Amino acid sequence: MTKKFFRYTTTLAAAALMFASCSDKDYAVPQPKNELQNDAIKRSIGPSLVGRAMEFAYAMALPADKGKIVSAQVEASIAGAPTTYLEHRSFFTTGGGLDSGVVIGNPSENKDNITTVTFSKDTMAATLRYYYVPAEAARGKEVSFKFTARASNGETVTYNLGPFKVANMEMKLDIPVSDAGAKYISITDMAAYNQADAPAHADKIDLVYLYRTTPASFGHALVAPAADPKYLPGITLPTGVNRNTKLMKVWQLRDQQLARDQFGVFIDDADFQQLNIGEGINYTLGLAKDYGVWVETTDGKYRAYIFVNAASNPNKTATLSIKRYTMK
Amino acid sequence: MKKYISAVFMVMFFATIWMGCKKDSPVDEDGLLITTRAECFVSSFEMLGSDHLVTHGKSATIDTAAQTIKITVRFGTDLKKIWPRFGLAQDCKLDPKITTWVDFSDLTTQRSWTVISGNRQVKKTYKVFVTVEQ
Repeated sequence: MTKKFFRYTTTLAAAALMFASCSDKDYAVPQPKNELQNDAIKRSIGPSLVGRAMEFAYAMALPADKGKIVSAQVEASIAGAPTTYLEHRSFFTTGGGLDSGVVIGNPSENKDNITTVTFSKDTMAATLRYYYVPAEAARGKEVSFKFTARASNGETVTYNLGPFKVANMEMKLDIPVSDAGAKYISITDMAAYNQADAPAHADKIDLVYLYRTTPASFGHALVAPAADPKYLPGITLPTGVNRNTKLMKVWQLRDQQLARDQFGVFIDDADFQQLNIGEGINYTLGLAKDYGVWVETTDGKYRAYIFVNAASNPNKTATLSIKRYTMK
Repeated sequence: MKKYISAVFMVMFFATIWMGCKKDSPVDEDGLLITTRAECFVSSFEMLGSDHLVTHGKSATIDTAAQTIKITVRFGTDLKKIWPRFGLAQDCKLDPKITTWVDFSDLTTQRSWTVISGNRQVKKTYKVFVTVEQ
């Protein structure tokens, strides 16, 4: 009985194994379509911001015996800023990994929300980059794109991409601040003013930048004008500069758009909406490169993130970049 | 074949009995193992700021006899938002648990935590004295 049991089991297992291993997998070489084709991708990552280009790559091709490409165009659902353009060069990647462009036509033209490149070279395949710069009208809205290519034989193809959300927040990069110069920072203006200019903007000054060597932990600091004077040593505030800004210090939150480093970290609208500084404090000391400070203005109108791009102890200076979100 | 089946059945039967009679290890209300260890002390202490970095230059002074921890934080430390981090003797636990930021801004009132030994029989309450570097 046992022998029979094992014999049947072994036979069954062997049959199952043979059945599985002998299964034939058919493969056929894909046949290319004998017509004009296209494809598009979005190349830029992270939040889309007004005034900062969103990058796309649009590829189109048709068999050589079918004719040549005569034009390519992109229609955005919301007209871009005048700096929006479609490359008139087709890019390929060299063996060294670099993008190399070959001119295929005239520079693009913008008409309302349509950007067009007319080909002047006999071209059967091209990949054009498209740089859409969201205009103020696109802030907080979704934008879609319709890519279209036309061939000399009358064929037309289109490719739709999107929608993509354009963020509400604003960004200002590389604001120089100095202990001896522009040290009064306005979140409203996203700018820094010196002692002479600050009185004219007194009601908009949210922070004071300063650098001190004693105590040793002081270093580079951002302090609200209303903070305890012990955090503003040697500072004589201009008349009317008295805002009490809430702050929270963080380290190594290197937003890629602010830091322009390799880290794929992005601060988006949602981060400001969900930010909870709580009671917060009105001073942050010991700042250095790669530190950041979350900010909420006295009136609650703005929330911001200030990133320290660079800080120099000998010069008593720093370079700051800001992302700002309007709450009210 | 009958012998084969009954042998398998017997093995499974005894395995079930053996597993069923195994005594469970004791755990406390937090699901932590209660051991035989009676050691009960704080071995290290740090205070992290909102940037998750330590807020003090020098290590804390821990007096296990007086059950005190003395620490000096840097000038400008946000004492309302501190995450204390304790190192404890093996198998010990801390009460109350640290689950959020702790406010140390009132320097006149010391905060205290109780260390409970691995056997849950010994309890020692440590007071934390904070001063700010000037």
